[in-house]
Amino acid sequence: MKKFLSNKRKMRGYREFLYILPILVLVLIFSYYPLYGWIYAFFDYKPPAPLSEAPFVGLKWFKNMVSTDVKIREVLRVLRNTFAMSGLSLLFSWFPMIFAVFLNEIKCTPFKKIVQTVTTLPNFISWVLVYSIAYNVLNSTGVINQVLMNLGIVDSPQLFLQSSEHIWFKMWLWLTWKNAGWSAIMYIAAITGIDEELKEAARVDGASRMQIIRYIIIPSIMPTYFVLVMLSLANFLSNGMEQYFVFQNAFNKDSIEVLDLYVYNLAMGSGGYPLSTAVSILKSVVSLILLCLSNKFSKLVRGEGFI
Amino acid sequence: MKSKKIGSILLAGVLFATALTGCGKDGADSGGSGKSSSSGSGKDLMTIEIYDVAANYQGLQTGWFDKVVKDRFNLELNIIAPQVAGDAIYQTRSSTGNLGDIVLLDNTDFADCVKNGLVKDISGEIGNYPNLMTYKDQIDTFNNGLDGNDGATYGIPCQMTNTSPTSYSQDVIYSSPMLRWDLYKEIGEPDIEDLNGLLDVLEKIKEVHPANEAGDPAYPLSLWPDWDGGDGMIGIANVVQLTTWYGEKIKGSVILKPDNTFTPLTDKSATYYKILKFLNDAQRRGLVDPDSGTQTWDNVCSKISAGQVDLLWYSWEVGFWNSIDRQKNGTAFIFIPVKDQTYYTDSDTYYGSGRVIGVGSQVDDAKYQRIMEFLDWYASPEGLVFQHAGIEGFNYTVGEDGKYTQINDNALMDNLPVPEEYGGAGYNDGNNAINQWIVDATSTNPLTGESYTSTYWSSYKEATMTDMKREWQERFGAPEPVDWMEQNKVLLVSPNVSVSLPSDTTDISVIRNQVNAEVCADSWKMIFAKDDAEFDSMWDEMCKTLDGLGFQDLVKFDMEKHQIEVDAKKAVQ
Repeated sequence: MKKFLSNKRKMRGYREFLYILPILVLVLIFSYYPLYGWIYAFFDYKPPAPLSEAPFVGLKWFKNMVSTDVKIREVLRVLRNTFAMSGLSLLFSWFPMIFAVFLNEIKCTPFKKIVQTVTTLPNFISWVLVYSIAYNVLNSTGVINQVLMNLGIVDSPQLFLQSSEHIWFKMWLWLTWKNAGWSAIMYIAAITGIDEELKEAARVDGASRMQIIRYIIIPSIMPTYFVLVMLSLANFLSNGMEQYFVFQNAFNKDSIEVLDLYVYNLAMGSGGYPLSTAVSILKSVVSLILLCLSNKFSKLVRGEGFI
Repeated sequence: MKSKKIGSILLAGVLFATALTGCGKDGADSGGSGKSSSSGSGKDLMTIEIYDVAANYQGLQTGWFDKVVKDRFNLELNIIAPQVAGDAIYQTRSSTGNLGDIVLLDNTDFADCVKNGLVKDISGEIGNYPNLMTYKDQIDTFNNGLDGNDGATYGIPCQMTNTSPTSYSQDVIYSSPMLRWDLYKEIGEPDIEDLNGLLDVLEKIKEVHPANEAGDPAYPLSLWPDWDGGDGMIGIANVVQLTTWYGEKIKGSVILKPDNTFTPLTDKSATYYKILKFLNDAQRRGLVDPDSGTQTWDNVCSKISAGQVDLLWYSWEVGFWNSIDRQKNGTAFIFIPVKDQTYYTDSDTYYGSGRVIGVGSQVDDAKYQRIMEFLDWYASPEGLVFQHAGIEGFNYTVGEDGKYTQINDNALMDNLPVPEEYGGAGYNDGNNAINQWIVDATSTNPLTGESYTSTYWSSYKEATMTDMKREWQERFGAPEPVDWMEQNKVLLVSPNVSVSLPSDTTDISVIRNQVNAEVCADSWKMIFAKDDAEFDSMWDEMCKTLDGLGFQDLVKFDMEKHQIEVDAKKAVQ
């Protein structure tokens, strides 16, 4: 003990370990402890009987997922929707950045503030409210149909919410409407951080506004963009379920049901807990594969990985 | 970046702390006896947790019913409602071994909970409570039917009546076609032969009534998807309900036919197909509200109240339109017979409606005593009048002959403010949040000799004997809809029995869930199909998909399950 206390380096290491301990505990509680729940996938668990009385069934529920053609189709369909919608967000991830750049170019400050506030506000509205806005605007007697009919463009109400076409794109539009302003904040901060002298030097050299944007602003905020893209890659499969939950209906279900929503629909309907746990394990496995792949990719492109 | 991290850690810390304190507070509450403001019974104020599948409000009971209970028992009722909190709460609470101090569950879940030791054996106590013992026959029948039970009493069925298991005491049945009398008269009171005839009539009604007074479009049919799949039901809730017009009753994945045999839901000659086709025809003729597939019940409810819907089918739905004034001026909804229909109805719920009240296995003796006293009162005439008719002097007055007369008949509809002496707040806000009764409203109140429901009081009948009712009686030659059905021998009363049915295995519950999702999604698409060919190809495609999900296993399970019930019904008939 005395030896330990006298060893200053060890003491310091010990103290520093204490600094990190609370965070480790939090990670353990919120990230590792929930993994214990995976155990439900291997039992025929059904409330109210406790898990201890449920029979162990091994991989039954994993096999169940792929036991018939119809079920395989279901899983593939859900994965397809998840990849499509996350992919679409990834594909358009530059949108908030460009939005921020152009917002920054607005010279009339009051107008700039108004635009920023108006685009940021939707972020604070819950999806349930977004749907009720959508319903009120788009239903058969809603504003849009009224306008279209009064202008004589259509002669009967269009069922926008019921249509099963372009669901992925529409969902991306709603998501962008809700998030663009909020995501732009990070880029606006990055733009503010750019050295004014650079821009002034460019201006002296006769660069136009577009040239300043192209050669100075965008390259300067690229690192921020890449960090954010990396972070969103990690959430590729967890594109949330609230949005799709509120917008889902019998007509668009085929293209709107993403993994998270599928797990929810399975478990909450009548207690298919084991199967939905198995599906969410599948999700973690796919996420892990994606992470490794993008790490490899990063090594190839940048010469270094991020893990 | 750094400050963001610190921020998130702080946030996590705060959340964690709130979670902990949340638990702590909860525990203290359920622990029970705080210092009381000691009113009523002179006992300490105690909070009773009620796990209640019937409730659609979660939290402490407030308003006038809270005052009624506090004055008598000094109890606070804390309602835990899975309808509000989500079904997952059943899993979390049952895994702790304590579902609630009082549990109110569906029969099948109740049986599971008894098996898993979540419900207290109340055999020793229940004999001391005279109001509960009035229903000894029914309570014993239910408990003896519990799987593996040897004479112990666990549960008290809900909505028992003091009539009989085969009688039907109401004037209308749960589901039948109802049209607005003024509109039906306006198109010349035609006879309706079948569903096609009904569509013709609805088409004419739409011509004379294309919009309500405010100019908003009116549609004969307005459907809603948000009730689909509730209560283990398979298929669109609206369709499932309408199948009772042809004497059939959907039980999960199978249809019970009038001759007491079963056929799968997917049988093309049975009613699910028939009603779905009816709705599709209606849609193609422009009679279905185009928002049907995406709106919620709340939207429909406000449309009914605004006069934008021309056909109703639930007996309680008329409550959103038929005021006494509208009955007087003839614009109210009333049953209009369709000649080829046979109406299915469940009889009086003598043995209970399918839900049960029990006491949680972990309550201590002091609490147990007070819960039993409360339950006994809950089944007493005094308690029942509060539950079914409301407050004396606010909802009804007592005449010299002891009979009741309703006042403030819009108290519930318009959430009228309740005077401070009765507990204040709005009437609907303070209404009994348990939302389920041990004794049904159709039972006879021994204090008045009339039923507990205000609409069956002689004073109410007198007030609603309007020109419209007289015209209806003349046109169809019967005093009330149920009398017409009985005269024409088109009423199928299914006797009430008390059986305990096996609960789903995990395999079956997964199949049921997936099958239901598939049937609902495809059914909605079929209602909006463009032509017969598209409709039929969708139906066939659906059947193929269902087989891949294990539909046949489900059908087999459901047939065996409900055969138990059918056998019991046959024994009574």
